Amino acid sequence: MKRTLALAALALGVAALACNEVSAPARANRYEWRLFAANPQGGTDTLSFHWPAGQVVRIWAEDSLDLATHVQNGIAAWQDALLYNELQAELVSDSSSADIIVRAGFPPKQFERMRLGSYFAPECSGATDLDVSDDHTELTLPIHSYIAPKGLELTPAAIECIDLTTTHELGHAFGIMQHAPDPADLMYGDPVVTAPSEADRETLQAVYHFPPTMTLVRH
Amino acid sequence: MRKPILVALLLAGAAPALAAQGSYYARLGLTGASKLVTDEIIQPINTRQSLAPTLFAGVDLPLGKVYRVGLEGALSTGGFHADQKSTRYDLGTLRTASVTAQLVGPLMPGLEWRAGIGILKYLPADKTGIFARGGPLVAIFGAGADYRRPALKHWDLMLSARYDYHRFTTDELQARGFANTEGVHRISLSIGLARSSR
Repeated sequence: MKRTLALAALALGVAALACNEVSAPARANRYEWRLFAANPQGGTDTLSFHWPAGQVVRIWAEDSLDLATHVQNGIAAWQDALLYNELQAELVSDSSSADIIVRAGFPPKQFERMRLGSYFAPECSGATDLDVSDDHTELTLPIHSYIAPKGLELTPAAIECIDLTTTHELGHAFGIMQHAPDPADLMYGDPVVTAPSEADRETLQAVYHFPPTMTLVRH
Repeated sequence: MRKPILVALLLAGAAPALAAQGSYYARLGLTGASKLVTDEIIQPINTRQSLAPTLFAGVDLPLGKVYRVGLEGALSTGGFHADQKSTRYDLGTLRTASVTAQLVGPLMPGLEWRAGIGILKYLPADKTGIFARGGPLVAIFGAGADYRRPALKHWDLMLSARYDYHRFTTDELQARGFANTEGVHRISLSIGLARSSR
């Protein structure tokens, strides 16, 4: 019996020591997602934000252009990029309590804060306005995104443009504050791909694991 | 649905025969596990299961005069989460089901050892995150000890400790470039009743 026990213990010991740990991927494809803004002191502030863990981001979509479907697609695409349930979001029916508001049409001209826009596609354009405080420490909710078709008809190309542009604008609203340098990325300034690339996905992962510089507030 | 009922009926029908030759038992306990995976995005992220309530059931049959062979199943259900510094990400519910073939022998009166091999299946409630492509089926190696003490005419009180070990990864982790596998150690303590041939 002692021999059996010794053999069992030896087998377990060998198994426990035999292999290495899981090694994480390098994630070397991410691009700069933080915004750099001049401050009154003559220096530069680094701006970044992400939605807190455990908070469900409430998104309201205007009942036009089938935006609700496109927003759902965008939520799914970005959530799929993350491994640890870092981002939870849902569509809500009440715009007054929404954290992100997605409207059909062009953004207002007189917005004075930060605007990230995608204007160059022939079928549609998009923009996201971020209401950043003067001292660059707060981002006031809700975040507003705008999706505007450029033609009168919703052709298949226009629908595809609206879909990918909605996902692109949600990328900004979820924390990617810059455009990607590569046209193969959905967060490129003039996006043409239909889904987040590996670089987009790795960048969003970094967004949610890097300490943010701004807090989200609602006045 | 029919298969589990059929298996239950067969086990129930076989119970008197088992009681005559060996024993069968059921226990309830808690299982704790070491981390499932360590990631690093800016800072380390450890994913692990919470303490999980576990139901054990098994049968033992004699193997000669001293040893017995056993088959033990375990079903656990609990939460799992990822921790990065002070931030915790709730990842939902994770169940595991395992079956282990065991060799059982005496240590001292009332106390027995067990060692065995088996399989374990991870059954996440949601196919998301590290389990986006489903839960893995892995080989496990385990050992343990049982303490039995007569409680009723044909029933023993059974206190058990179990340890098992397996290597963990998922298809999703591999698809995302994670290399190697993580060694996962699990320990459980449980209490239940065993029907014996006494």
